[in-house]
Amino acid sequence: MKKKVGLGSKKELNAELNLTPFIDLLSTCVCFLLITAVWIEIGTVEIKQSHGTEAAASKKETYDLDIVYKNPTQVRLNLKRNGRRVKGFKVESDSTENLQAVLDQTIKEKVLTFKKKAIEIATATITPRSTVQYGQLVETLDTLRSNEIINIGVLSAKGR
Amino acid sequence: MRLNQSLVSSDPFEKHLIKRKRKMSWKKKAAIGALMLTSMVDMFSMLVVFLLQTFSTSPEILINKGVTLPDSVTATEVREAPVLAVAKDGNLYLDQKIVGEVTKVLKAPKKLMNQLHDIKIDWAKSHAGQAFPGEINLQADKEVPSTTVSQLMGILTTGEFSTIKLAVIGLR
Repeated sequence: MKKKVGLGSKKELNAELNLTPFIDLLSTCVCFLLITAVWIEIGTVEIKQSHGTEAAASKKETYDLDIVYKNPTQVRLNLKRNGRRVKGFKVESDSTENLQAVLDQTIKEKVLTFKKKAIEIATATITPRSTVQYGQLVETLDTLRSNEIINIGVLSAKGR
Repeated sequence: MRLNQSLVSSDPFEKHLIKRKRKMSWKKKAAIGALMLTSMVDMFSMLVVFLLQTFSTSPEILINKGVTLPDSVTATEVREAPVLAVAKDGNLYLDQKIVGEVTKVLKAPKKLMNQLHDIKIDWAKSHAGQAFPGEINLQADKEVPSTTVSQLMGILTTGEFSTIKLAVIGLR
């Protein structure tokens, strides 16, 4: 860099930044991150099959919910307390796409506020049907989990 | 013929442009090209920030061929465990290895039970003194009948794999 004439001992204020190593570092970072990037995020939905004694021990003052698939557009909800059926709800929709919305509404309005009181669902059991696809079963699990019903089991019955 | 003249043959202006281009190429061109470094560094920085945000350190499981996983909004993180997969074509895989047709396996689950037992023994050898967690990742195509999956769950529970994690595509 040339020293400017007439400025005496004053230093140059503009400093030049060497961009080459900076670009090198950034390119390496970009390459590494592009290679290790995960574009499809796989998650899991946990199922707790009620085979142990712990689930039975917690069934004292709380309610249980049975979700029985009649067909892909119709579900029967059975609310139970201490193993006895207290109330049944029929959930029906004109299409499989709308069923989850109707189910969600029924759980919120009728089940979780049973007899105008907020109740807690300890366990939920889903009884599937052979006509019901696995994708729809996962959607039902999603609906239950979004309503804070976490202990969910799937009845391992033979297909009907 | 008219079509040929109008579309294929070049008009006088086009011919003039071609001639000009030829003349230009004969002359020596200036070899200096200015690279806009500031914008390039900006772009790189933005890319790095975006990729760092999407970077995840959680373990990944392979999705079997022929398996379209269902979507879920309440998905949790994947944990490393054996993977049982039901493909759309009806084949059952355990850790990427074929077990057989799912309908046959459901009727005679002994082979699957033996393989699950082997996994359990291997786990016990490598984790001496620890209780078996019984975790398994279950991948199934979203069009598979739900009863097939539920029957498999029954087999898994019998084989002491009671914590079943259904693999889904996480939507956020």
